[in-house]
Amino acid sequence: MIKFWNKRVKTGILTENLEFDDEIKQIEQEIKDIVHKKFAGSLAIRMVDSGSCNACEAECNALSNPYYNLERLGIYFVASPRHADILLVSGLMTFNMTPHTIDAYNQMAEPKWIISLGDCPAMEAPFEKTYAINAPVLDHLPIAYHIKGCPPTPKDIIKGILEFLKGISL
Amino acid sequence: MRLIARFAKEKKDFFELVTIFEEEIQKEQISKTNPKAKTITDKYPSAIWFERKIQDDFGINFENSFDNRPLVQQERFPKNIHPLRKNFKETSLEQSDFTPYEYEAIGGDGVFQVAVGPIHAGIIEPGHFQFSQAGEDILHLEVRHFYKNRAIEKMVEGKTLFEAKPIIERISGNESIAYQICLRDIIIQASNQELPLPLKKRDAFLLELERIIHHLTDLGFIPNDAGFSSALAFASKLAEDTRRFMTKLTNHRFGFGAINFEANSFDVDFINNWLDTLSKEIEYFEDWIIDIPSLWDRFDTTGILSLEKAIKYDAVGVVARASGSSVDRRLNPFYIQNGFEISLEFEGDVASRFKLRLQEVKNSLTMMKNFIEPKTNSLEIDKINDGEYYSFVESSLGELFMAIDIKNGVIERFFVRDPSFINWQVLHIMMDNNIIADFPLINKSCDLSYAGNDL
Repeated sequence: MIKFWNKRVKTGILTENLEFDDEIKQIEQEIKDIVHKKFAGSLAIRMVDSGSCNACEAECNALSNPYYNLERLGIYFVASPRHADILLVSGLMTFNMTPHTIDAYNQMAEPKWIISLGDCPAMEAPFEKTYAINAPVLDHLPIAYHIKGCPPTPKDIIKGILEFLKGISL
Repeated sequence: MRLIARFAKEKKDFFELVTIFEEEIQKEQISKTNPKAKTITDKYPSAIWFERKIQDDFGINFENSFDNRPLVQQERFPKNIHPLRKNFKETSLEQSDFTPYEYEAIGGDGVFQVAVGPIHAGIIEPGHFQFSQAGEDILHLEVRHFYKNRAIEKMVEGKTLFEAKPIIERISGNESIAYQICLRDIIIQASNQELPLPLKKRDAFLLELERIIHHLTDLGFIPNDAGFSSALAFASKLAEDTRRFMTKLTNHRFGFGAINFEANSFDVDFINNWLDTLSKEIEYFEDWIIDIPSLWDRFDTTGILSLEKAIKYDAVGVVARASGSSVDRRLNPFYIQNGFEISLEFEGDVASRFKLRLQEVKNSLTMMKNFIEPKTNSLEIDKINDGEYYSFVESSLGELFMAIDIKNGVIERFFVRDPSFINWQVLHIMMDNNIIADFPLINKSCDLSYAGNDL
């Protein structure tokens, strides 16, 4: 156990040691303020993969690693769409996932928004339309904001959420 | 013989059914007027998903098969459509009436079903798990997938290999480098060229780096699923470091577009230092995590896959090696000369799969030191010859198999078998004598891909 605490003290807090330190600090403060003001301190996101390559999910998981530590901003990924303010949709909206994705959106309580994540839902990734793809997602669900990238980096996602938050009026 | 894959293709006058075994390739002609074939599932149980997929894609019926339910085509999929046939050209489908899917279910007094998915509670891919439960005990699990089916096989038909590359490298994000190397090997075969050693080493370096990222992520998530979240904090930090290192080398966090017949110069000192630092961190991690008895209480004897079953079901990758089955595509002179040692565990439980990943990370670091190639190098690809090509790569999940037919310079048929396609079929065997609360732990210890499986 003593080894663990030694390591813990030596490692310190990683979250502050980002390459984009100042920039992220500024974003952090802004997000914190907006989340606090508009969502009473906590913004709940439900992620739904509608047919991606799993890279977008990996980047969302990376958001909770010690470098990005998204939860400190009051933004949480939640287990059920019924707990969520935002539906984060990645992927190509496959034929088989379309009814389930729409179902998830219908389960959310108002007010609710959809953010599309990555190039796939906008049909801007190198994939081409086939019988099994129903993207763009916009044809099926109202998208409030789009985060570009293939996949968007964790930093892009944080920035995207901030831009979205700035734009909404409550 | 180990079954690797079974798939069909359409020729002018007949369908061809190709079965790939480790030692041989069998081909069979199937009439187009009455497409029927004999099942091989009595001998090779893992052939069942391949045959059900062929039945959906081409409309070839398998006689005496124990399972004729649709696999890829789900409840709302239009009936009597076989989209991989050449005469199917639609690019959109209307939803048809809902036809319920008959799940495998065990009946009896007090036995109940638990349906999980397709959308799960975490940030993970969609798939469905149907449990038959007696209280906490799992009696049976049926894994049902293909929610993410994007029809990649159809999408790349009619494209050149280079046009198809951006699509193929995005089939499964976590295995992008492996998919690219599989395609690279087919391009090399089709153009009748030799791959220069520096290029081969550079690509092998990136493949091991991808494996390390994947294993590190799992080394964090497996303990996290047993309620030990500080391991996740530590390992996800290392995984992020590794991803940033990947970005330095390839300009992309997942290495999309990295395998491109050009090797840029490597800064040898920087890379050596980086590898040494990671080695030390892994050493610390191992020393620390091996010493947490409550964690190993959860890992030991959970989700056992016996060697006998691993072989019977043709398991590959980490899942096979943790049960003592030495299936690894890196067992070849090139890798062995550069320090590859096969890692094996013999218990076949979650603990074995966890320890195996740790060993593999350490072995990958050793190999990467030997794969460092300071010189720049490149290869011009002149002409792609028509033909049938196969290639294999050991991805971070296991053996990846790709088959491409080229006709008139473009892809006539593309088939890929992700290691997960085989291993998903093994998962239900691990559920014997386990409780449902351990399912996430067992599932994570295998960490299979949904995207690669569904295509």
